Amino acid sequence: MTSSTLLPAFAPATSTSETDTNLALAGQLLSLLRTTATEPRPDEQLEALTLAVAADLPVLLWGEPGIGKTAALTQLATSLDLPLTTVIASVHEPSDFSGLPIVGDDPAVQGVPMAPPQWAVELVRAGRGLLFLDELSTATPAVQAALLRVVLERRVGTLQLPPGVRIVAAANPRASAADGWELSPPLANRFVHLNWVHDRDVVVRGLGGVWPRAELPRLAPERLSESVAFARHAVCGFLKARPTLIHRLPGSETRRGGAWPSPRSWEAALTLLAFGTAASVSRDVLALLVRGAVGDGPGLELLAHHDRMDLPDPESLLADPAAAELPERGDLRQAALEAVVAAVGARPERHRWEAGWAVLVRAMETGAPDLLVAPATALAGLRRDDWEVPEVVERLAGVVGLVRTADRSVERVAAAADARRATGARR
Amino acid sequence: MSPPAPPRPVRATPPQRPDRHGGADDRIKLPLDWEKLLAARLHAVKVRPYLADALFALHVVEDRAVPTMAVDAHWRCYVSPAFVARTPVEELAGIWVHEVSHLLRDHHGRSERYAREHEESGPGERLRRNIAADFEINDDIYGDGLPRPFGAVVPSLLRLPDGLLMEEYLRTASMSGLAAELAWLDCGSGADGHDRAWELGPDGANGLTRQQQDAVRFRVAEGIKGRPGHAPEGWRRWADEAFQPPQPWRQLLGAAVRSAAGAPGVGENHTYRRPSRRSSSVPGVVLPSLRRTPPRVCVVIDTSGSVSDAELGSALLEVAAISRAVGGRRDLVSVISCDAAAGVAVPLCRAESLELLGGGGTDLRSGFARALRSRPRPDVIVALTDGQTPWPSGQPPCRTVVGLFPRPARATDEDDPDYVPDTPPSWARVVIIG
Repeated sequence: MTSSTLLPAFAPATSTSETDTNLALAGQLLSLLRTTATEPRPDEQLEALTLAVAADLPVLLWGEPGIGKTAALTQLATSLDLPLTTVIASVHEPSDFSGLPIVGDDPAVQGVPMAPPQWAVELVRAGRGLLFLDELSTATPAVQAALLRVVLERRVGTLQLPPGVRIVAAANPRASAADGWELSPPLANRFVHLNWVHDRDVVVRGLGGVWPRAELPRLAPERLSESVAFARHAVCGFLKARPTLIHRLPGSETRRGGAWPSPRSWEAALTLLAFGTAASVSRDVLALLVRGAVGDGPGLELLAHHDRMDLPDPESLLADPAAAELPERGDLRQAALEAVVAAVGARPERHRWEAGWAVLVRAMETGAPDLLVAPATALAGLRRDDWEVPEVVERLAGVVGLVRTADRSVERVAAAADARRATGARR
Repeated sequence: MSPPAPPRPVRATPPQRPDRHGGADDRIKLPLDWEKLLAARLHAVKVRPYLADALFALHVVEDRAVPTMAVDAHWRCYVSPAFVARTPVEELAGIWVHEVSHLLRDHHGRSERYAREHEESGPGERLRRNIAADFEINDDIYGDGLPRPFGAVVPSLLRLPDGLLMEEYLRTASMSGLAAELAWLDCGSGADGHDRAWELGPDGANGLTRQQQDAVRFRVAEGIKGRPGHAPEGWRRWADEAFQPPQPWRQLLGAAVRSAAGAPGVGENHTYRRPSRRSSSVPGVVLPSLRRTPPRVCVVIDTSGSVSDAELGSALLEVAAISRAVGGRRDLVSVISCDAAAGVAVPLCRAESLELLGGGGTDLRSGFARALRSRPRPDVIVALTDGQTPWPSGQPPCRTVVGLFPRPARATDEDDPDYVPDTPPSWARVVIIG
């Protein structure tokens, strides 16, 4: 559309040259203000965003207005070398996304074509680009419904967006969008949800002239097939153990509009796990992505399962107890020892039982002894009548002393409580 | 990321137990009594099995600069050997649980947020936050096999009620009376979010990343939820809310009413019934226009004896405000008070002196029927109730939002102790109020 209004002519200036110098000075000042440096700085949320965009999953950034979502998108587009197209969803109508019907001479013969808007045509012509749908949560329900097709089928009217186009959306959280609509569960399920927050230090340093430059994760070519196998193993193993989590519509009012588990979002989580592994990102980035795809609860459970997968294999610990490498962290170490005891219990044979004791002794020598109490008690419970207690068990004497001290202390407390109750009753 | 280490708070010596050889220990370089410390952890695990994962995940660091025991934001636990030497095992067990509670309840994150929101920093404020965090913990973790350690601060010292959150203690009390006596108290950055001189910081060894901390918290919460009978009320509440923080009901109710009133067919949406304003510039193209049909909202209020006046007042005000914001004119909002029988629908514009009648038992079915009988029919029914009522058997032909006043789940019918009221039906959007 061409604008028919013209700018009014300037009032006659006192002198043309003076205006010019003033404007030139203003220009100089502005260019000085805009000259900023960058410094490398790890940024988890930007890493997560890059990975999800690389994995061709639609991302939804939740953040307060003015927090720098658009700036982050600009940086991402530069670093991925993609042209950025911003579409503010809330000022559009459904037909802008589903195509504008154009009535020809004889609709019965020709049909009514659904004409795509200009930005879509340009995106298709370029063949690649970053489509940024801003203000998603303030778009009306009808616009959101039309956007479903753009996000899922990548269709705008009759146009099919080429595979080189990546989609990122942004929304304001319900608390700050005073008159916003909430996202419908089907639309929410198609996105990887990322919370966008600002870091005080980054803002202060950036206003001082130095903005961060994130090191974007790179996929390692030699790890591709390995990552796919790993991600499939992790997700399938987890869902086999927790089948109720495969599909769970958000039940409570608090969960609406956010991520929730469904086969579609589990597929997204699988993709993200594979990408994260191939790019060797940190656990924190992986956690952001997985929780953003399937929701906090299921995401955390998957990650906990993932942690357990990292524990040493109980059978190999039993095979060579002397060289057993146990995790450093107490709770994981205890989990590994409990897995060993469970393995012995699953196939109770005398040599396996003795190897189990050897693993416990090894744990005693390399870490805190109080972790051993529960596994040792369980292992002792597996004894058959004709099995003699192996000699190595004597080296666990320290554990027995510890248990005795703790028991005495528990008893003292119980006795004191009884005594207090008795005096209370007498009063 | 981390600001320069703040000045250490001025710390007098911790109160010594009068009957023990306290002061001498500090001067002699004692080795850390690991056996005693770990036996105490074992005691804690025995009496609080659901905290085992978290207790074992702590990495112990021996440090003489720490006054007692302290935790940092990376789940390291700093221990003073002298303190271990002079404290009995059972009290050490209580301190283990106390310190791990700081971490499980995310006191460092919450404390940092509080400090940022209220722009309160400096040693005095830090101490205040530490005390408030201790109040939140100490009022419900002790007892039942875990004695309260000597010198533990509890809300009753300031005549404050038990059971509040750290933020509530901070808001209600200045704690200035305590600050001087308790200047030795220091639970580390795990309690108030500020780094200490003795701490290893984020780059030190054996810290837990945020994801790992979340994973431990999650396992503990799941453990408590899996066997709810074993954990006391305070911990059960924590487990319920650890990963689903309670949301402000006002916003939830607002969003529910808004989305019910704005769903396709009601309220503001697109329509082809009227030509779009853009149509004139693009001939040949069919454009929808934006059209607003203000929703009619009917509020059915449970006025039975079990709902308090305060609850009703707050919720009713909220609904009126929301429906105005949605675009419902005041005359489109009507109110029906309903106990066992429904009253008449009173438009809110005439309701300056709205009387809510009732007080007996409840049957919301009559309220729903009355609302649907009114002409013109409402687009949205908002029912405000405590849920102890029979519900309509079928879905009413309009959107339904239920604002539910929470009640403890227990039998309410004295003649039939097994009677449990039905939960709200699945076709209604339910918002817990309060």
